[in-house]
Amino acid sequence: MPEARPRTLSPLAALAPPSSSRTWQTVPHPSLPIVATACSDRSVRVYSLTSFTLLHSITGGHKRSVRAVSWKPNTRGQSVLATGSFDSSAGIWRREEQSTNEDDFTNRRIGGAEDEDGRDDDDDYQFSCILDGHESEIKSLSWSPTGQYLATCSRDKSVWIWEELEDDNFETVAVLQEHDGDVKCVAWHPEEDLLASASYDDSVRLYREDADDWVQVACIAGREGHEKTVWWVEFEGSGMSRKDFRAQRDGISEEQQTYIEGLERSGPRLATCSDDCTVRIWRRKPRDVPDNAASNTGIPSIIRSAAIDEDWYQDVILPQVHERAIYSVSWSRTTGLIVSAGSDGKIIVYKEQWRKQTPNGVAANGDEMETDAATHQTESPTEWVVVAELFAAHDVFEVNHVTWAKRADKGKRRGDEEVVVSTGDEGEVKVWTLD
Amino acid sequence: MDDKDNANPTILNPSDLPSRRCEAAAKTRDDGGSGLFDDLIPRYNYLSDPFEEAVSASDSDDDAVENIDEQEIYDLISTISDPEHPLSLGSLAVVNLPDIHILPPTSPLSSISTVAVEITPTITHCSLATVIGLGVRVRLEQALPPRYRIDVRIKKGTHSTDEAVNKQLGDKERVAAALENGTLMGVLRKMLETCE
Repeated sequence: MPEARPRTLSPLAALAPPSSSRTWQTVPHPSLPIVATACSDRSVRVYSLTSFTLLHSITGGHKRSVRAVSWKPNTRGQSVLATGSFDSSAGIWRREEQSTNEDDFTNRRIGGAEDEDGRDDDDDYQFSCILDGHESEIKSLSWSPTGQYLATCSRDKSVWIWEELEDDNFETVAVLQEHDGDVKCVAWHPEEDLLASASYDDSVRLYREDADDWVQVACIAGREGHEKTVWWVEFEGSGMSRKDFRAQRDGISEEQQTYIEGLERSGPRLATCSDDCTVRIWRRKPRDVPDNAASNTGIPSIIRSAAIDEDWYQDVILPQVHERAIYSVSWSRTTGLIVSAGSDGKIIVYKEQWRKQTPNGVAANGDEMETDAATHQTESPTEWVVVAELFAAHDVFEVNHVTWAKRADKGKRRGDEEVVVSTGDEGEVKVWTLD
Repeated sequence: MDDKDNANPTILNPSDLPSRRCEAAAKTRDDGGSGLFDDLIPRYNYLSDPFEEAVSASDSDDDAVENIDEQEIYDLISTISDPEHPLSLGSLAVVNLPDIHILPPTSPLSSISTVAVEITPTITHCSLATVIGLGVRVRLEQALPPRYRIDVRIKKGTHSTDEAVNKQLGDKERVAAALENGTLMGVLRKMLETCE
């Protein structure tokens, strides 16, 4: 087996007080050191990653479990949170952040106002508006990287895209009904207006806008796809080849250089996890013609699909360590590490690295990425290895969600240090360091 | 509900149902390998077993009920009422002792056991198979310690849409949402009334 420096996930804190019932998902704020946790008691709990304590409890909005939350990116002076619930509605909540500069937030805390911080009654999250339309439980929702769009998905098999025209004025720009079962998760590409959805029908679908119409541009299903329900989908961060192990270019082989260039043309990859106990990575076949040359505007809609269809194929299946359904997978925007968690209560961290040159000289060449993944005979020049395996992360309970977050407590050792945040069936949210 | 899916089900005599009294007979039928030596090896009775500390630290309740066997699982679910007959799932042979299996943790680092129950709907197109399966899953989730994972499936070949039903019963999110549905909870509560 390949060698990699083993790492250890160590408990740093449990967010306090915990919820007394199941918690579904915990999402870090895009700029502040806080997280929002979706709870089955119909509330959202906002915790500090500095003090690990509860700052706000958002209640009184939803009539059933809050299943998912998403912070709107790029907001100024206020935090905007979208909540998706089993009551089939989505809610928008706002809170004015007193600090003019978001970066000041952390310093301000240390500066002494710590105790009353976030405790004033009038700076609670205010209900702003409700998005009605889904016929049954909302399972996931996600803002696009620019904050222009909000995608929601539901057991009613549909994916809705909402556009915020102005504050609290949302327009439905698309209702996508390609799936044959519950849509479990939606996620946006970090650079493009490209949306991915994962479903109970075992497929993953991708959509983009074409001539004012959102259409499916790719479907990953069948023999090349997952065998069971796909629970989570998440894109790789932007420009990761300059941040992860690929950033070190000294002394790499020509083959490795070609591989990096090929991946850069593909763009960020896609990670999915499933009831079939696998985590898989998908990549886009780069277009032969650069996108800007094939300007799609003006092409009659009848032939447009051929022009914008994308070919996503399986890059790799990560080492199979989970024994039961994998509910969540998260791709670090800083290190490129992947973390996964699920029903077996384990948290697994995976790392991509250059494969050691094989002695017989058989190595991948640049053509590999152009061939069908199903027939690949040449090995990829990289491999994924498990660097940390933690049992019973939430005692005997299932882990519903796991994500990376910027570390913000006093013990932080590096400016870009990350922690793993896991959310359990027993209502606990735990924070872990990776050493 | 006037038109029952199965108006004349086969009903077993209560004295024929498996119980502790005929344990020997039940055990010989259960040759699945799991639990055969439970009585010989008092696995969880040590209080000072150094290997047990890691997993038993937090949950003292667990220790009292560690020796759950297939018969106990059967006892928990056989008394559930059928949603359309005033009869128990045991007497209708919807749940059967040989179709209950307890799988031990797969690793010494794990304390998670799996309870696998296969149910046999009374007729192949029984539309209530999902509700019955949900009742069994809910009953076990409420009665067993959280270290048990519960897999309820329709016995292969006994139902026309068994794969679809199995997929639903295995979907945690759907089960959670179902439990927040008042109408469905009403049906389940009625089925579970006859337990204990």
